[in-house]
Amino acid sequence: MPKQIKMIAACGAGVNSSHQIKDAVEAEMKKRGHNVSVDAYMVKDVNEELLNKYDGYLTIAKTDLSFTPKVPVIDAGAILYRIPAMATPVYDTVEKIVKGLE
Amino acid sequence: MQAIIDIANTIFGPLIKLGAAPIMLIVLTVIALIFRVKFTRALEGGLKLAIAITAIGNVMGMLTNAFQPAMKQFVVNTGIHLDYQDMGWAPLATITWGSPYTLFFLLILVIVNIIMLVLNKTNTLDVDIFDIWHSAFVALFAQWCGAPLWLATLLVVFIGVLKIINSDLMKPTFNELLDVPDSNPMTSTHMNYMMNPWIMIFDKIFDKFFHGLDKYDFDSAKLNEKIGFWGSRFAIGIYLGVFISLLSGTNFLTIDGWISMFTLSFIAATCMELFSVIGSWFIAAVEPLSQGIADYATKKFNGRTFNIGLDWPFIAGRSEVWAAANVLAPIMLLEAMVLPGNRLLPLGGIVAMGVTPALLIVTRGKIIRMIIIGALELPLFLWAGTLTAPFVTEMARKVGAVGIPKNAMISHTTMEGPVEKFIGYAVGHAWSDKGIWIVYAVGAVAIYLLVFMWYAKQMKKRNVELAAAKEN
Repeated sequence: MPKQIKMIAACGAGVNSSHQIKDAVEAEMKKRGHNVSVDAYMVKDVNEELLNKYDGYLTIAKTDLSFTPKVPVIDAGAILYRIPAMATPVYDTVEKIVKGLE
Repeated sequence: MQAIIDIANTIFGPLIKLGAAPIMLIVLTVIALIFRVKFTRALEGGLKLAIAITAIGNVMGMLTNAFQPAMKQFVVNTGIHLDYQDMGWAPLATITWGSPYTLFFLLILVIVNIIMLVLNKTNTLDVDIFDIWHSAFVALFAQWCGAPLWLATLLVVFIGVLKIINSDLMKPTFNELLDVPDSNPMTSTHMNYMMNPWIMIFDKIFDKFFHGLDKYDFDSAKLNEKIGFWGSRFAIGIYLGVFISLLSGTNFLTIDGWISMFTLSFIAATCMELFSVIGSWFIAAVEPLSQGIADYATKKFNGRTFNIGLDWPFIAGRSEVWAAANVLAPIMLLEAMVLPGNRLLPLGGIVAMGVTPALLIVTRGKIIRMIIIGALELPLFLWAGTLTAPFVTEMARKVGAVGIPKNAMISHTTMEGPVEKFIGYAVGHAWSDKGIWIVYAVGAVAIYLLVFMWYAKQMKKRNVELAAAKEN
């Protein structure tokens, strides 16, 4: 089993869009032979301390932060379009980061 | 005709007697199969929905039972009639998704969307299937108030068409707020944005008379960071437990008084967290069907590029949404206590996520305007929540929240679409009571449409300006 990589996905209530991103990224990375686990949060609960415990931040679109994140921020909004071809570039970016960490 | 009804009754009678959770297990699974979702995925969705309905029923019972005696005492002690409990969005979503009619309204709205795409009346393909429940809620409420199914359906189609038009009108503003190119397809048909026309009236007044206040806009991200944990779900549960204990005259000189305060606070906090967890099961439950519908629609329109209608939070990265919600929470609590006609004590819906996204879109992120206009429109939400409470409570009991105490009422303080609920109410009563209600209903629908048309004109003007600014 490859090393587990942990990421955050965030949306409004931490239940809808973020869970769609979580499920999609986890499933696709598993398919590609990686071990990625994603936790879903409310955008407002993502702070510097929390983010430091993770390897990446999957956002839906531009996200205001009061600090400069030390981990990569990945625009994962395209996953929500439900059109597989549009989500592929997001998965590729995530995979590149995951490979770098493994 | 009677024969058909008899056959239907023999087939569906036992099914209906099964209760909401088993019915929805069967109905959701079958509908997902119709959209060619794999059997295991379809069944998974159906089971998750049944479990979510069961779970939320029980948590509602736990919360209402714990709070009911204290809230009665609160009313006796303060003389303020705040005896309806605010559950937040998740229980209301359950109640709505617990009705098979919701899937009927979903199918109708998918057909409306496809027709509008074919006729080139919109460029938005709505894939936010879960949030159909906002529209379905209005229709179910209208039915509860007396409207027949066809009239409730007509109302849903009317609001649905405007929602889709609105998603096109807002698209350039989304691009501006997210700083993305025109090729980005994100937009939203979310019900909360149907407050835009009304907010725009206030915004125009601001433009004319109070634009000087804009210079006091502050850094929202910094404010949110400072509030941090203090604005979290369970912290809010704790505050409310303490608040009700104080105002219900709990005797803090006794150990029992302290025990009762801690119990209330911890139960409220637990329920707030559980609602959110169970809420995610719901969305997971509808997920296979959502993908099935999206696959079907994209296949039908092979090659055409759309804007894609999503749930509202793709703009949740804008910190103003949260700063405004944070500041509005205590304001709402105060308003709730003095607002005539309101009976809801804010709890589950106190972080006004159903209110602030629309404020962001219309004011384009002017935080002072968002807060002031938000404070001015909140009474509409409280009144709509109070108005729908008997309906919500009855439906909750029907889907299995049998634990709700006899005299308790539940609802939601900041549910999207307050104006639509008033219209649903008027339309329902127009059918059942006739007379002056017909005038009210027709008048309400006419005003609603006129204000929307005015708003559409303003948004088109804005969109021309945004396009011109981009070219320069």
